[in-house]
Amino acid sequence: MSIKTAQGSGLALCPKCHKLNNIRQCSGKNVRLQCIRCHGLFYPRKPYSLQYTLAWNFAALIAFIPANIYPIMILYSMGIGEPNTILSGIGEFIDLGLYPIAVIIFTASIIVPLIKIIGLFLLVYRVHTGVRLRPDKHSKFYHALEFLGPWSMLDVFVVALLVAVVELGFITSVAAGPAINYFTLTVIFTMIAANSFDPRLLWDKKQGCENAKEENDY
Amino acid sequence: MIKTKNAKQLVACQQCDALYDTPILKQGQSAKCTRCGSILAERKVDSIERSFYWSLAGIMLSAPAILLPLMGVTLVGQYHHASLLDCILALIDRGFFMIATLVFLFTLAVPVVRLLGAFYITYSFKFNRLKPSLLHFFRAFHYLDNWAMLNVFMLGIVVSMYKLLDDTELSINMGLLAFILWLICSTMASSTLDQDYIWQELENEFVD
Repeated sequence: MSIKTAQGSGLALCPKCHKLNNIRQCSGKNVRLQCIRCHGLFYPRKPYSLQYTLAWNFAALIAFIPANIYPIMILYSMGIGEPNTILSGIGEFIDLGLYPIAVIIFTASIIVPLIKIIGLFLLVYRVHTGVRLRPDKHSKFYHALEFLGPWSMLDVFVVALLVAVVELGFITSVAAGPAINYFTLTVIFTMIAANSFDPRLLWDKKQGCENAKEENDY
Repeated sequence: MIKTKNAKQLVACQQCDALYDTPILKQGQSAKCTRCGSILAERKVDSIERSFYWSLAGIMLSAPAILLPLMGVTLVGQYHHASLLDCILALIDRGFFMIATLVFLFTLAVPVVRLLGAFYITYSFKFNRLKPSLLHFFRAFHYLDNWAMLNVFMLGIVVSMYKLLDDTELSINMGLLAFILWLICSTMASSTLDQDYIWQELENEFVD
C-alpha cells in the first residue's frame, strides 16, 4: 500500500511558502519551477542533494582535524601564555570537578559534530543503496541532526565572550587561537550539509524499492 | 500523470511529500502527517496580535541587550566588563575577522532583522496595509530561519561564567537581564508567527 505523493501526482511543493505547484508535463523530471504564490524559483527535489551533502560533509571532516590540533584559546597570566585545545579545555573542567559543564562542552564541540558528520554519511549511503532503509526512523534522526547543528557554536561563543571579558592587561587576558577558525568552519559546513540533504529522498527511495518488489512478485 | 483535484485543496508534507486534502483547522489545532509524523499544517492562536507585541517588545529590548555589559570580572582590584558588541569588537581587534563576522551575523544581525521583519509583516496585517511586495519580503524572511543562535549564545554565557567563577570575582550586569528578555521575545515572536495563515492571506489578496 503506497501513499500518494505530490511528485507522483504531478505536483511540487514550494520549499518557502509551501504552495503546491503543477509540474508542466513537457519538461524533464527535476526541472526548475517558479512558484505561483511567492514567485520564488525552486526544484521539486533539491538537485544533486546527495552529492552536495557528501561534499560539504568531507569539507567539515577535513576542517575538524586542525580544529582539534591547534589551540582554541590562549590564557595569558603575568605575561605567560598557556595554550588550550578543545580537549585540554574539557580536561581542565574535569580537574576542577565541574562535570556538568565538561559534559556540555564535550557534547557540543566533539560529539555533536562527529555524530552529524557520521550520521549524514550514513543517511547518504542508505539513500543511495536503499539497504535497510527505514524512512520513519531515519527522517527523525535527520531532524535531530538538523536541530543539534547550531549548538556546536557554543565553544566559539564561549571563547568570544572570554576574549572580551577577561581583558585585565598584564595580569590576565585571553586570546583566541587559530583552531577557532577551523572549528567554526566545521560547524558551518555541517549545517550546510544538513541543509542540502533532502529527507523526501528517503521516502522516494523506499517507495521505489517497494514498487520494484511488487513488480517482481506479479 | 494522475488526474488531480485543484491544487488549492491539497497540501503536501514538507518532509516526505505525502499528499493530503487541506485539513480544516480551528485556532490552536495542528495536523500531522500520518506517514512521517511531522506537522503538516497548523493554525496558531491569535497569531498576528501576539507576534506583533512580542516583536515590538523584542525591538525595544534589542538596544539594551546588545549595548549594556553582560558581565564583568574583578581581579586584583582591576575591573573589566563586556557587552555583546564588545565581544565582536574584541574579535575584530585581534584580527579574527571571520569569527567576528559570523558572531555578528548569528547573534546580532539575524535576530534583529528577524524581529524587524516579523514586526513589519504583523504590522501590515494588523492595520490592513498589505502590499504585493510582502510576498517577496516574506519569502526572503524564510532564508534566515536556521541562522539565529541567541539560545546557543545564552548557554555560552552560562559556560563562560562557570569558567570565570573559578579564579576571578564575577559580577553580573543589567545587560544579562536585557539579553535573557530579548532571547525570550525573539523566540516567542518567531514561534507565534503563523506562516500558513500569512501565506494564505497574501495569496487571496494578490495571486488571482
